[in-house]
Amino acid sequence: MNFMRTLSITAVLLLIGTAGLFAQDNQALDLMKQAHLNLYYAGDDGVAEVKMTIVNSKGKERQREFAMLRLDLEDGGRQNYYTYFRKPSDVSRLTFMVHKMPDASDNRWLYIPSVDLVKRISADDKNSSFVGSDFTYEDVSGRHWSEDNHKLLREDTYNDRPVYVIESIPKESYKGFARKVTFIDKEYVLPVREEYYDKKDELVRIFTVEKIETIDDIQTPTLRKIENVQKNQYTTVEFTNIDYNVNIKEDVFTERFLKNPPREFIK
Amino acid sequence: MKKQIILSLAAVLVFMVTPASLLAGETYLGGFVQGLYGGGLDRDNPTSSEMTASETRLQLRMESFSDAAEFFGRLDFVYDDYYNPNTELELREGFVKFRMFQNLDFKIGRQIINWGTADLIFINDMFAKDYRSFFNGRDDQYLKAPQNALRVAWYSPLGTFSGIYTPRFTPNRIPTGERLSYFNPLAGQIVGGEPFYFEGRMPEAKFKNSEIAARFSRYVGSADIALYFYHGFYKNPTALDMVDSMAYYPRLNVYGASMRLPLLGGIVWLESGYYDSRDDSDGDNPLIPNSTVSSLVGFERQLNSNLTANLQYQNKYMLDHDVYADHLPPQAVEMDEMYHLVTSRLTQLLWMETVTVSAFGFYSPSEEDFYGRFSVSYKYTDALTLSAGANIFDGKEEYTDFGRFQKNDNVYLKVTYGY
Repeated sequence: MNFMRTLSITAVLLLIGTAGLFAQDNQALDLMKQAHLNLYYAGDDGVAEVKMTIVNSKGKERQREFAMLRLDLEDGGRQNYYTYFRKPSDVSRLTFMVHKMPDASDNRWLYIPSVDLVKRISADDKNSSFVGSDFTYEDVSGRHWSEDNHKLLREDTYNDRPVYVIESIPKESYKGFARKVTFIDKEYVLPVREEYYDKKDELVRIFTVEKIETIDDIQTPTLRKIENVQKNQYTTVEFTNIDYNVNIKEDVFTERFLKNPPREFIK
Repeated sequence: MKKQIILSLAAVLVFMVTPASLLAGETYLGGFVQGLYGGGLDRDNPTSSEMTASETRLQLRMESFSDAAEFFGRLDFVYDDYYNPNTELELREGFVKFRMFQNLDFKIGRQIINWGTADLIFINDMFAKDYRSFFNGRDDQYLKAPQNALRVAWYSPLGTFSGIYTPRFTPNRIPTGERLSYFNPLAGQIVGGEPFYFEGRMPEAKFKNSEIAARFSRYVGSADIALYFYHGFYKNPTALDMVDSMAYYPRLNVYGASMRLPLLGGIVWLESGYYDSRDDSDGDNPLIPNSTVSSLVGFERQLNSNLTANLQYQNKYMLDHDVYADHLPPQAVEMDEMYHLVTSRLTQLLWMETVTVSAFGFYSPSEEDFYGRFSVSYKYTDALTLSAGANIFDGKEEYTDFGRFQKNDNVYLKVTYGY
């Protein structure tokens, strides 16, 4: 009898333990999902002016300036992006459009006004650099939370603010990273730091949020940075003139507007 | 609605008479300064100059827009060491854009026009090209020559209907023997230099000789499909008037279709066109091109994060080859019934996309000729770009599409400062 009781208690304890473990995993998943939505799907749509500064290992700077429009078709799902380049001079007036499809390859278009050319771009490699910066296409539009397994490592503080620290491992072997550690601000539920590790578990890239501003009641990271630790170079991205819920119509993300920038949003 | 029309028309008039800087709204300025120097590699090229390019170019760009309309202008000042006079002024673009009834877009004025799906092969794109620029190392934007045209696009629930009316026929700019030599069928050889400066006879400046191009395009799933129509002339002087010993631009209609879609991790495109040679509808005049059907398939994908490759295959089928062959004079060279062309482009980006290495090859197995474009460019800063490149032609015969330029092999250096 004693034996049976011990066994039962052990089983119950095990069950509780496992449940706790599951609970923790679910919490990690929920946090990653909410952080993703807060960072990439804020409001129903948004416009911003973006200034990108690329600094190489010798300290030499390059700059990109562009206007960006975003429209969410479903939260956490389909999303459209529109980019209008202003600087440097050789890409000025060039436009770039993405129809992001979480379950399929994105559709991408480029319009080069000097030759009146609409080009479709193959979007196979999400780890390609975005306009020569340390940001990849995936950094710009986000990696869906369902592609990784998440685990809450600990609760901690980062820059004197309480954070959750979550580890993510791709479900399928992935070129972008083998392991990612995300620091999520407890109050804002926004990723404030991400560490990307390669297959040898060496730190490759660090994403950090350098500044958060409240815009239309939405906590918005307005200064972001990606540092390539191994190449000793980094890129910062600064967002200004941000506006949310400006009622961008879906037809803005068509060839018509690719060739004729919507001037109500892009001056 | 009426108010909108009046406003739009008023805006056009205002733009025509007012410097854009005086208008309310936004105005942007930009442009570049560029030096381009190129030299021929063939010692026996019969041109007047051994330099394929020696020019300094200043481009001024101005963009201005208000609520009703938008103006864009691009003006090139070129100082050319070879030409006399040395300076040239060209309005590359100068147009007004405006919108009516929510779904009608107008673009009126001097403009660059481009459509179709292929990479540097044009089947349904019958807009003017500048092969002189293409062959001597100028930037890609110079492959297209401007046309003075009226462009209308109607966005309907069914798809987009575009119409382009070019009042005065605008031919391609092709090698004329000044800096680049060409094959002259009357001389029976590659020629160049002053006695052979070449000019095709233009159609008369009449209403009936204007150009009309139309396209219907829409998406079906993630594929974009399009139908095309063109009414005008061959853009190269491909016909010969034996009485005057003059080359001229014969009349042409083109009917075509294209499709482009993401597939196999890349992009696939298909395009086809029927060239109705209206001055030789029976195909019995060997001095005018026969009607043809041209078809093309292409595929492009990234091989890795920084390397993109594509491959294209095109063929052209002569529709009345038998009739053509029957009417060919005894000693004349007979063209193949079927023409084949294979092209490939490789683009490698290095050093955080500051260095671009590019190679583009055209090879025709039926004509046994080749054209290769090679270039390296380095963005030293955001403003300053240094480039070097080569254009290499080869051909078994001197009269084929690329073989006719085989003495024009050249290398060039280019420095661009953008502002």
